[in-house]
Amino acid sequence: MDFTERLWCGTLRPGDAGRDVVLAGWVDTLRDHGEVLFAHLRDRSGIVQVVFSPGRSSPDLCRAAESLKSEYCLAIRGRVEKRLPGTENPGLETGAVEVFAEAMEILNASDPLPFMVSEKAAVSGEREAEAVAEDLRLKHRYLDLRRPSMQDNLFKRHRIFKCVRDYLDEQGFIEVETPMLTKSTPEGARDYLVPSRIHQGAFYALPQSPQLFKQLLMVSGFERYFQMARCFRDEDLRPNRQPEFTQLDLEASFIDEEFIYRLVEELTVRMFAAGGIDLPRPFPRMTHREAMETMGSDRPDTRFGLRFVEATDLFRDTRYGIFRQILDRGGSIKGLNIKGHSESLSKNVLQNEYAKEIVPAMGAKGMTWMRTIGGKLESNIVQFFSPAEQQAVLERFGAEDGDVLIMIADASPRLVHSVLGQLRLHLAGRLGLIPQGTFAPLWVTDFPLFEATDGGVTSSHHPFTSPDRPDFDPDDREGLLNLKSRAYDLVVNGEELGGGSIRIHDRGLQSKIFRALGLSSEAAEEKFGFFLRALDYGTPPHGGLALGMDRVVSMILGVSSIREVIAFPKNRSAQCPLTQAPSEVSREQLGELGLLDRGGDRALPGTAKKEDLLEYLSWVSRIGVSEAERPALEKALAEASRLADAVEGVETDAAPAFSAVPVENRIRAGGEPVVSRHSESRALFANAPAMKGRYFKVAGILE
Amino acid sequence: MDSGIFVYREEAAASGTGLLKGRTVSVQAGLSVAGWPAEAGSLALRGFKAIEDATVARRLREQGAVLVGSTRMSELGLGLRDDGAARAVTAGLADIAMMTDLVGEARLAAADAGIIGYRPSYGLVSRYGLFGLIPSMEAIGVLSRSAADIAAVMAAVAGRDEKDFSMPEEPVPGFLDGAGQPRIRTLGWIRESVAFLERQERQAFLLALEGLAKAGLTLVETSLEEFELFRAVHQVIGSVEASSAAGKYDGVRFGYRSPAAKNWNEMYLKTRGEIFGPLVKPYLFQGAYYQFMKYGAFEKACRLRSHLIRELQRLFGQADALALPALRAGFDPREAGSVSALYDAFLFTLPASVAGLPAVCFPWDDGDPAGCRAIQLVGPRLGDAGLLALAGQAVTNKTKES
Repeated sequence: MDFTERLWCGTLRPGDAGRDVVLAGWVDTLRDHGEVLFAHLRDRSGIVQVVFSPGRSSPDLCRAAESLKSEYCLAIRGRVEKRLPGTENPGLETGAVEVFAEAMEILNASDPLPFMVSEKAAVSGEREAEAVAEDLRLKHRYLDLRRPSMQDNLFKRHRIFKCVRDYLDEQGFIEVETPMLTKSTPEGARDYLVPSRIHQGAFYALPQSPQLFKQLLMVSGFERYFQMARCFRDEDLRPNRQPEFTQLDLEASFIDEEFIYRLVEELTVRMFAAGGIDLPRPFPRMTHREAMETMGSDRPDTRFGLRFVEATDLFRDTRYGIFRQILDRGGSIKGLNIKGHSESLSKNVLQNEYAKEIVPAMGAKGMTWMRTIGGKLESNIVQFFSPAEQQAVLERFGAEDGDVLIMIADASPRLVHSVLGQLRLHLAGRLGLIPQGTFAPLWVTDFPLFEATDGGVTSSHHPFTSPDRPDFDPDDREGLLNLKSRAYDLVVNGEELGGGSIRIHDRGLQSKIFRALGLSSEAAEEKFGFFLRALDYGTPPHGGLALGMDRVVSMILGVSSIREVIAFPKNRSAQCPLTQAPSEVSREQLGELGLLDRGGDRALPGTAKKEDLLEYLSWVSRIGVSEAERPALEKALAEASRLADAVEGVETDAAPAFSAVPVENRIRAGGEPVVSRHSESRALFANAPAMKGRYFKVAGILE
Repeated sequence: MDSGIFVYREEAAASGTGLLKGRTVSVQAGLSVAGWPAEAGSLALRGFKAIEDATVARRLREQGAVLVGSTRMSELGLGLRDDGAARAVTAGLADIAMMTDLVGEARLAAADAGIIGYRPSYGLVSRYGLFGLIPSMEAIGVLSRSAADIAAVMAAVAGRDEKDFSMPEEPVPGFLDGAGQPRIRTLGWIRESVAFLERQERQAFLLALEGLAKAGLTLVETSLEEFELFRAVHQVIGSVEASSAAGKYDGVRFGYRSPAAKNWNEMYLKTRGEIFGPLVKPYLFQGAYYQFMKYGAFEKACRLRSHLIRELQRLFGQADALALPALRAGFDPREAGSVSALYDAFLFTLPASVAGLPAVCFPWDDGDPAGCRAIQLVGPRLGDAGLLALAGQAVTNKTKES
């Protein structure tokens, strides 16, 4: 069939009635009405119904249509007609028309599918798209990507990326690619390393970000640079992270923070607009300190209130022993007023769920709660507060009848903030306080330049971030910890979309920072010598920012995981089920790279586990081994290896018998799936070692 | 008297009516009886109370049997180190003991105790409600002094169970009509099997076979060249299946959980590190070795199983049943504390396990203290009733002689 005349399936409308058209695409669904066969034909533009009927199609064509299966690739020629009144499908954009097939060519057949690709019901309202296990989807990603929802995600991702490129181009930014094979950069996560064949024993690192290169481009005088940069971080597994991800990386010279705010706000507004979302401008700004002290997070969700209330001073002279001890140790007391929720937060919930289970799991020793009834505080501990203290609490918290007040007290103010911050999110989620469909962007500014370590300090961001003032003493630890940085983060709905800073462009200031970090000039030279030398050649003042684009796109599209907006992502275990990467490589390859004999005197990076077979098997089968057990287990493995050789040495042409009696597939009698009565009666839970609510309780995935 | 035999005893249960009216039956601690502890000799199931009857337990009661308690067992049923099932019978505390046979436990426990121990054809008895370890080879066996009682148990429990998907759809042979069964007339013995015996043991075994043949059997010498492969095939497949089947023991939904694990992986590592004992743990590591390092060896072992099944079928063309030794001098099955010692001690019970064939061990006494103590017969698939009839006859004859 000649494709030059081909039309998109999804574009046909009642106005096309009477046209002879050529269409091509995949069979989405089939509906056999005896004589007449209806097929949904899908291409990237949408779906249209194709009809094979004896009245309109030749007997040969009808016979051929009977052989169709889901996801066959077809071309058809036919005539567009309006559907009869009452037979329209409002679920399809083309639902008012159908195409009567006159000729068909099966371009390619399809094997039976591992899961259903079709998402649209053949008849409106008939079914929802089925849920498919993610690893199965990823294994057959090429089929998964045929689904209209996944196609839509990638089309929208493209639109958002294009909008970024267009806008930055308008603003005079140019896109420059920086190397993938490079030297380790100071981002703090683990590097992915690539062995060099030519320089045996040496390794490239894949970039965690193009940080130093983009600053070098500023030294080179490009003034405005951006890149849709692929970055790599070998981090421990965390939900919604990918080993490789895409960030919008940008840098500009002769600018200050206000330039970045203006540029990135406009850019963000345009990106969200590409997804049909209006963001309010200007974006509010909040210092890091205010964010921590009122919401307990450096990326606060500002879609709802529930700000912390300071209560330390109210209990200055308290006789309540627990508060007394905490205050004597320099501690702090803060709280939240959950307005009007004394119905939903019963005594039982507050005491047995929050005070006993949830809050201790968040790291605090306890939680104080009170309810306001008849203008008075009520709880199991109010009796320990003086009338003046009770009155002060009511006033400070603005408490009215029906309010629930909770307070966290601890010797460490940091812990008070962290726990209240977690509680704030927990309660907001539980009580439905977060308005859905709203977006609250926020700039978080004035981060501390350094964080305390044992005896010293470390950079909160990276060592090239400019401090808010240059006149500090690099040996005064307390003074260093009070320094602010010229860094900023863009936060939307409690998620950090990106961040950046104004950089240091002065060699003297950079040296002072290294000294504050306890980095000797030799060490600094070894790590970043090439970069420090560049600073010596008239570097302009500059700064920039990076946005995590996978995260931005998934927020705009409202999907739960960044894997939904990446064509070929890794799964939660950092593996690719489609290609089976990462995979073993041959000894020859390792030999060529000079990696075989490197285990001799020191462990090969990343291979320590595998070197010891016992350790490896212990890990993969999750069975711990004590030192005392090792000898017996080593012996058992030696025996297993001998047995493997023994059976592998025997020749046979017999088919494998996985059971003594041939196994058959069988369908359980009774038809409908039912929930086990033991599940319903909860007898299944009777033997559980630990429970929480209606769930088996286990340790967290991460510490 | 019964210390160390039972882990749980049910007092004053009433007998019903049916094939097993008035018979007392013990089960092992790995078989579910609703409300009874079912720890299967393992920390992995510490404190576990069964929430439903195993199909076998239900069918025994339906035919009038009195379930008197559950007997101690070795960890997850592997080996005989802590077994109490045979002693429940010899101590007169149960007429019949149900016992899972993985490498041959039911048969050698009986052989050692001087009673009859039987393992049914694979797939004949439902394993729904059993905490098993080697799904493709284990079967719930029966121990008793009386072959007729064993046959009655089988008449009660054998046959399709919708809840056990490993059971093939095939007719269930009759167990009660002894006279109607095809009789065993020719008895084969395998040259390569007796080669594993010391000279004296070999002579005693062949002498016992001649004694057995006096009742009208013809003895046939047969050959199965790869006899020694049964051991490797069983160990490779068995350890892989154990490693896989023991995956569910993770301390999440039941059983012991190691305290104070910082995260999920550590919880699994520590819990599973602590729950498996000195015999099972090395076995699981061997299985993990084939699963993760040498899958080809597992598949090859399965191919060899096909080959061995075909070879045994060939031998059943020459003889109605095969006689094999049971116990080996110098290899006490109750003392086997390592995987290799276990397979040494159970060498002759492995073929029936590998091939899913019925087998029965019954006591033998020549009056010679150094003589053969027990004979094992292996029959073709579903030839169970004939084997039990022959075993019963042999035991009765011996009793008459003495």
